Amino acid sequence: MLSKLALGGLKNRFRDYAVLFSGLVIASAVFYMFMALATNTSFLKQNSPISYTPFIFGFGAVLLAIITFVYIVYANSFLLSMRQRDYAMFMMLGAKGRKIGQLIFLETVAIGLFATFAGVLIGLVGTDFIGKWLIHALHAKATGFSAFWMPAILWTFGFFVVLFILSAIYNTAKLLKMPMMRLLRQAQTPNRVKQKKGIFALQVVLGLILLAVGYYCMANALHIGLKAIPTALVTIVMGTYFLFNAVFVGLIALLKRDRSFASKQLHTFTLSQLSFRIRDYTRILSVVSILVALALGAITVGLGFTHDIPVLASQYTVYDLTVASPNAQTQAEMKKLQGVTEKQQYTIKSDDKMVYISQRALDAHPLKVQIRDQSMKGKLRTVTLTSRNFNQIASKYYGAFGIFIGNNRGKQIRVTDNATFAKLGNAETLTTFRVKNFNQNYDTIEKIVTLQQKQYPKLWGNDTDQKFVSYSILNGMYSGLTFMGFFLGLSFLAMLASTLMFKILSGANYDKRRYLMLQKIGARPQVLRRSIRQEIGVLFLLPGVVGMIHVLFGLQLFKMILQAPYDNLIVPFGVFIALYGLYYLMTTWMYQNIVINKDLAAKS
Amino acid sequence: MNRQPVVTVENVTKTYGKRGEKQTPALKGVSFQVEPGEFVGIMGASGSGKTTLLNILSTLDRPTAGAVRIKGEDVTKLKGNALSDFRAKKIGFIFQDFNLLENLTGRENIALPLALQNVSAKKQQAAVDQIAATLGINAVLDHYPTELSGGQKQRVAAARALVQQPDILFGDEPTGALDSKAARELLDTMDDLNKNHGVSILLVTHDPFSASYASRILFIKDGQIGSELVHGDKSQEAFYQEILETLGTFQK
Repeated sequence: MLSKLALGGLKNRFRDYAVLFSGLVIASAVFYMFMALATNTSFLKQNSPISYTPFIFGFGAVLLAIITFVYIVYANSFLLSMRQRDYAMFMMLGAKGRKIGQLIFLETVAIGLFATFAGVLIGLVGTDFIGKWLIHALHAKATGFSAFWMPAILWTFGFFVVLFILSAIYNTAKLLKMPMMRLLRQAQTPNRVKQKKGIFALQVVLGLILLAVGYYCMANALHIGLKAIPTALVTIVMGTYFLFNAVFVGLIALLKRDRSFASKQLHTFTLSQLSFRIRDYTRILSVVSILVALALGAITVGLGFTHDIPVLASQYTVYDLTVASPNAQTQAEMKKLQGVTEKQQYTIKSDDKMVYISQRALDAHPLKVQIRDQSMKGKLRTVTLTSRNFNQIASKYYGAFGIFIGNNRGKQIRVTDNATFAKLGNAETLTTFRVKNFNQNYDTIEKIVTLQQKQYPKLWGNDTDQKFVSYSILNGMYSGLTFMGFFLGLSFLAMLASTLMFKILSGANYDKRRYLMLQKIGARPQVLRRSIRQEIGVLFLLPGVVGMIHVLFGLQLFKMILQAPYDNLIVPFGVFIALYGLYYLMTTWMYQNIVINKDLAAKS
Repeated sequence: MNRQPVVTVENVTKTYGKRGEKQTPALKGVSFQVEPGEFVGIMGASGSGKTTLLNILSTLDRPTAGAVRIKGEDVTKLKGNALSDFRAKKIGFIFQDFNLLENLTGRENIALPLALQNVSAKKQQAAVDQIAATLGINAVLDHYPTELSGGQKQRVAAARALVQQPDILFGDEPTGALDSKAARELLDTMDDLNKNHGVSILLVTHDPFSASYASRILFIKDGQIGSELVHGDKSQEAFYQEILETLGTFQK
């Protein structure tokens, strides 16, 4: 009988449960995907240039666990809000508290187990799919990556089962303590917001101070050490909460006081909607803004690493590729290069000791080298070589010229006048290439380099002469980090979406009646739609903006790892805003479908 | 003064069930009129079709056939924004369960129909204060619905229904959730609105006492109007007795 009641509840409110269930599935899928990386230490070690990466990942896992915990608590209160009327009804019909307790326990844990199981399955597919896609996109080796990872499965089940048992206990205790009348009509209790001015000001000040401390910690993480990160995390979370609590309430009160604004159309209603369950919103908005910051931060840093690869690779050479006297196969590959911005062919000749380039050819098309100048504190500079400075620089920085000598390892290169050059033998060709996008040509360049090495076993004196060599080493090191950044970013984004959607859609059930009433008293559907767009818009915009500010400060942390963490922000922010906007549109659309009735005569 | 009927119902039928499925007739050709300043009661048992009729009259639902005219305008032809605006301006509606928005104060609830029409803030305040004075709820305007008694809630709802000075006020069992004292007070208020402020009222109820306030009562049974009682010069007590007798024979 008991299990029949518990499962009957599931069947009756399928749509509500579908929202809850899909959210939990996403949470456990994300958790699994993360753990599949975090617990795979051999994978982490092979794909990261930094020794404390497992530590970073461990930290990320703790963070994800905290957020998942908050999320489960939240989802759980949604579950309770759906069921409390039913439970109260059972109690009214004479069910004992202990029975109700068992009922809740059974239901919560059953849902939890189902969701975790489904989540792990989706997580497996997701890890495989996203993993493969990212590995391909980044030419990463990703050695040791496996979608099916037993420790991760155990961790996920363990973690979620414990969480659900805890929340079942919490639900039972909470429900049995609440008076029956409140259970039956909690949705109607208004939340009169009475805030004293002093407390309001204190919250603003405290919020700002906490945020400042957090931002300071991130900016000076190098001096403060590893404890800067947890400190920043706590202060920023708390600061955000206080700020939302105070500023949000203050803003609504201010707008409501502005009569000419508030008395237009549904403005009063929209503002009241926002302030009605204000406590819930501030809590959830703080969580969401942190999630926004983490998602955006992870994507930005991930992209930062991809940007670092060409920047670092270009430190050693100006040219993306140089080719020495190609054979037919190499020539065929050279034609496949895309977006070639610069291609120049020179003739070089050699004797026993030296390689020569003619003055005329050089002055017509000067070569360029990257040199690390000792007198300028090792700063890199690009030097354009003509017949005037070539020999001087070539003898001083001969290491930078290895790329030009082709199959003449061990010799140095000099410029010579045209007459002397004409008398020399052993003519070879040297072709320099620059392409618009190295990554796009990665496979072709790899082929050419391999072919050349087969053709000329003595090619190039130094491993880093060809840009490809340094590029592939850097790519191997950094793509692991990029991979992490992307993965975490997408995971957090998925989590964020379901958290916010949850909050808003669980409110929709209460709001249904209100919107029906408004339609009955003659509110145009388009006015209602606008009100919904504004209300949800505010709920998305506030944490979005705060999250972005967190990221701008949080990037300070990465000053020591990334070349230029603040460059190329448009791409990650753009991607994020686009995705975030998509979630906004989706939530608005779903919400409107729930609350705006086509059939007004229907009883709500 | 325009003497055209406030509400004209012509041969309205309503059948539930899609084509090809089982057809369930709820209204089988109902016709009547409400004259300006009239207080008409509609009585009937559960399932008699009175709620369907009220939903059609108040434009929440459409009839399968027939016409409903309010002040000469055929409301069954209205669509989209015109329909919403018509509802906001021409019809007042009070419900058994009040249908107040519990996240707005009394004042905000009452001003809502005006705000929807973009009336200026000043005019909104003036209109709210005036109607609140008529209904005697000035003191509770800044309270939220959950802080009000049932009677007060229904007065706030009535104020919201009347603030636009609609052509007609529809009541759907407005005393259904009130205690007898609050019910009597609300009915007295409605009587006052009808007699002294010229508000036309159409009240749907199954409570004979509420119905005894009406000047004319239509009895509906199985989707048709069965009989009609007129208050005339009778005392309210006598009219009440007459309703009870009619109900006694009518339901058989």
